[in-house]
Formats: sequence, C-alpha cells, structure tokens
Amino acid sequence: MLTINLFNGLVYGALLIVMSSGLALIYGLRRVVNFAHGALYMLGAYIGYSVALHSNFWVALVAAPAAMALVGVLLDRYGLRLLQDREPLNVMLVTFGLLLILEDLVVFIWGKANYSMFTPDLLNFTVNLWGSEVPAYRIGVIGIGAAVAIGLTLWLRFSRIGLFVRAASTDPVTTSMQGVNTDAVSAGVVGLGSALAGLAGVVAAPFLSLTPHMSSDVLIDSFVVVVIGGLGSLAGAFVAALLLGMMQALGAVYLPEVSVLLPFIFMVAILIWKPSGLAGSRT
Amino acid sequence: MDQGHTMSLTRISILSLLTLFGGALIAYFTPSNSVLGMLAQAVIYAIFALGVGVLLRQNGLVSFGHALYFGAAGYGMGVILSLNLMPAELAIPVVLVAIGVLAFLIGLVIVRVPGIAFGMLTLAIGQMAYLLATRARGITGGADGMNINWPQTLFGVPQAVLLKPAMLFMIAWVLMVVVTFILLCILKTRFGSITEAIRDNEERARFIGITTTVPRAAVYAMSAVVTGVAGLLSSLNTGFVSPENLHWSVSAITLLMVVVGGFKRPVGPIVGAVIYFLFKDLLGEYATHSMAIFGAALIAVIVFAPDGVTGAVERLFTGRRGHGRTVRVGGH
Repeated sequence: MLTINLFNGLVYGALLIVMSSGLALIYGLRRVVNFAHGALYMLGAYIGYSVALHSNFWVALVAAPAAMALVGVLLDRYGLRLLQDREPLNVMLVTFGLLLILEDLVVFIWGKANYSMFTPDLLNFTVNLWGSEVPAYRIGVIGIGAAVAIGLTLWLRFSRIGLFVRAASTDPVTTSMQGVNTDAVSAGVVGLGSALAGLAGVVAAPFLSLTPHMSSDVLIDSFVVVVIGGLGSLAGAFVAALLLGMMQALGAVYLPEVSVLLPFIFMVAILIWKPSGLAGSRT
Repeated sequence: MDQGHTMSLTRISILSLLTLFGGALIAYFTPSNSVLGMLAQAVIYAIFALGVGVLLRQNGLVSFGHALYFGAAGYGMGVILSLNLMPAELAIPVVLVAIGVLAFLIGLVIVRVPGIAFGMLTLAIGQMAYLLATRARGITGGADGMNINWPQTLFGVPQAVLLKPAMLFMIAWVLMVVVTFILLCILKTRFGSITEAIRDNEERARFIGITTTVPRAAVYAMSAVVTGVAGLLSSLNTGFVSPENLHWSVSAITLLMVVVGGFKRPVGPIVGAVIYFLFKDLLGEYATHSMAIFGAALIAVIVFAPDGVTGAVERLFTGRRGHGRTVRVGGH
C-alpha cells in the first residue's frame, strides 16, 4: 500500500518537475513569473486531446508542445521583450491578463464539459512493482519527468547554448556585450519553457481529466514548488517538486481531510526555515 | 509624493464629509432600486479594492488571493451565527479582528519572500482556501455554500430596513468613506512613512534600523481587514456565502479594478470599481466571456496607462508624467 502511494507521489512529482522547470527557466531569464503557464498547460492538454482524437497519442505528444513553443516564442517576441524595461510587477500582471484570456479561450473552443483522454495502447498494460499492479503509462510519466530533469541539467551545463542561457540569466547586458544574441536566447528559452508546459498538459491528460479548472490546480502546486525551490533554481525546483508530489499523494490517502492544506503547511515550514527557498532565490 | 501626505487632516476631513453628502444625494436622486442595488455592489467592491490597493501602494506587493479574506468574513459570520456563539453585533468586530490576526500571521511568513514570489504565494494560499471550502462538509455546506442567519434586527435596525437598496447603499458608502479616511490617517503617521521607506528600499530601511517584516505584515493585515469589511457587507447584502466568494477570479477582478483605477492615488481603487461595474453593465450579454475581455483590458491598461485612470486624468491636468516615482516589487 505504501509503495503504491509513494509511486503515485513520484508520478505527480514528475509532472510537477516538467511544469515547474518551465516556470523556473522563464523566470531565470526574463525575471518574470509567467502566470499564463497554467493556461499553456491546459491549452496543451486540450490540443493534445483533439490531436489524439484525429491521429494518436504519440502525434499529440509532439504536436501540443510544438504548438505551445510557438505561443511561447510569440509571447516573448511581442510581449516580454517589449516589456523588459518595465517593472516586474507590470509584466506579471500582463501574464495574468493573458491567463484570463487563454482560460476563456479554452472554454470557448472546447466548452465546459470534462474530457478524458485514452491511455495509448502501447502503454495500456500494468506492471507488477513490489507486489502492486501499476499502470505502465505512469511509469512512462516518471520517465518523462526524469528525462526532462536530466536533459535540462545536461543541456544547461554542457552545451554552448546552455552556457549562453546561464550567462544571460546571470547578467543579460554583459552577455549581449560579449556578442550573444540574448533576444534570440530569451525567445528560445521562453519557447522551451512553454513547450514544457504543453508537454506536461499532454502527459497529464490520460490520468487527470480535462476540465476548465485543471490549470489552476497544477499552477498553484507549481508556484509552491518554484517558490520553495528558490525562484529561478532548477535543482531546487526538482527537489521541491518530488517532495510536494509525495506529500500530495500520501496526504490524499492518510490525511484526506486536510490534504489540500498540506502544500500550504509544507510551504510555510520551508519559508520560515529559509525565506529564499531551498536553493536560495536569484533576485 | 502621495496625496495622502500633502493633504492636511482638515482637508481630508472636509473632503470626506462632502463625499458623505454626495452619497446621500446619489441615494436620494437615484429612482430605480435596481440601479441602487448595483451601486451598492459597486461600493462594496470599491471597499474590497481599497484593501488590495493599500497593500500595493504601501507595500509594493500584489495580492492575487485577497478573495480569501472577502470570503472568510462571510464564512466567519455564517458559522458564528448558525452556531449561535454570540450576538451579531459582537460577531462583526470579532470576525474582523480574527481576519486581522490570521492575515498578520500569514503575512509574517509570506512578506519575507521577494515580491514576485509573494504574488505567487497569495494566489496559492487563496486557492487552497477555496479548495478547502469546496471539499468541506458539515456546517459550511461545502460547494453548495451556506446561508447566513442574520438576526431580525441589527444594531436596533430591522433587517427589512437594512436591506432596502437605498439603505444598503448608504451603509456601504459611509463605510467606504470611513475606511478611506482611516487609511489616510494611519498612513499619515510614522507607520505610513516607515512602510513607504521599506517599500522603496527594504535593505536601506534595515540599515537605518527599521524592522521590516512586522510593518509589512501589519500593512498586509490592514488590507485584509478592509477586504473583510467588504466581505461582511456582501454577506449582509446576499445573506449567503459560497466557495465562489473565495475563488481567485474574485481576486482577479478586484486587482483589475485597482490597476484600472490606478493604485498610486488613494481613491484609484474606488474609481476602478465604479468603472468595472459600469463596463460590466454595458457588456450585458457578452458577460459569458467577460474574463477574456477583462484580461485584455488589464493588459491594455498596463501597457498604455500603467498609472490607471486616475494617473491618466492627473497627467491630463498637470501635463507631467505621474510623479516620477514607481513602486518597486521586492524593494531591491
């Protein structure tokens, strides 16, 4: 029983890793908290659902993040870049306005009904894990979370563009003086971050249902993750995502009455201990 | 600097009295009860927006979760009255004090994080309260909400009289003026200067020996209590409270009012609330997609008129751009 709960915590933690790494990446470069991130997640899930209806899950797994990447690049080019000299507060409110628009857009196109997406046939079986039958799809979700975490870490640490991203996150002015096109780097990173939100949406669709509320639930958990981890820190976000995922899964079973308060209690505890988050925030 | 500082106490008092009188004129000359009802609602939201606005103006912090205190006032009242714990006249101050204490404690934790993270946390906390209220069973009625058993007479006034649109409008209007007056007075004291110093540069404020966390948490608590006043009025108006009162979209609408009205002027949030309700009335049948329209309006105002309507009007008259001061987030 405990192992299956821990396993489910790991699944939700993996989803939160995909979500919050996008938020942390965008924050690191643009110093903007993208309130529309949850809406991009929802849009990704709905687009994935529609694409999967007409073709299959695997096409959706590529198409939805690609669509969100395009949205992200446009958001950076025609939004964040034009507003980069504004107060962070103003930009935050702009992304919040975008959240309101995108949420309404989803209701406008797909309506208020709940949808559920079928598990892809290839992963529609169960695996015996420590004496419990677990759906193979969920193992796949953990795999995607791990791949995103490892891939991003390696990319940032060892690739040339990763070096540019780290440099631009630390000091965009000096970085552009060294001949790096920081606007292009930003557009790429916001695109990548948005694509990760879309990926999280498609991945979540087969095991969480598609509702107009789906964005706020996950957005709030990923906000908690990003703040606890330390704004802009990927490693901090990974650790916080796993901790919060575990806490949600175990809380839902052992303390169902107060399970919605657990992230709050967890957050308060961490912030009293370390106000700038686990990894220390970069502000 | 701010109007509240340059204006003398006498001027504030005279303006407040004139505004009170103006409210009486509105109540007297508005013939239609439905219009008065809408105006009463606008004034209730104006008080709500005053709470969100004072936090932004005085702390430089944006709350995306003040619906928590709006709803908490209704729930607090509802629970106390249905359990018959105390008379309603006593319950009103008790609820407001409880909201102040709760907000102060939450504030002590969350004002210490950088401004942007603060905004994220207020949204998270507010939404958790919403989920908690939705899933709660028993006395609060979960997702269905609960009725509030207001007594037949409140402060000696029969309920039937209280709930007349003109009366309700006047109560809300008087409270709005009183709240604005009290806020302006508080902010004229040393406390006001201290919070402004912290808002403009927290590090420097610490260097000159100011404890920064407590005043910031106090402003947060103050803004929550103001929002609580609006919540109480709203629960008197509707006699009902549900998780919808706690939903983040309520916080979003109020934030929109504050931004549209302009948060640098004390009366900005009030102007924003009035504009919002006029706009909503005009919108009529398109209201199903109101959130998208409000989102677009929010973006347009921030991009083209970051000081809101009051800022734009002022610029029109003085011919200069604002007051050369911007509120910073995080204060670094």
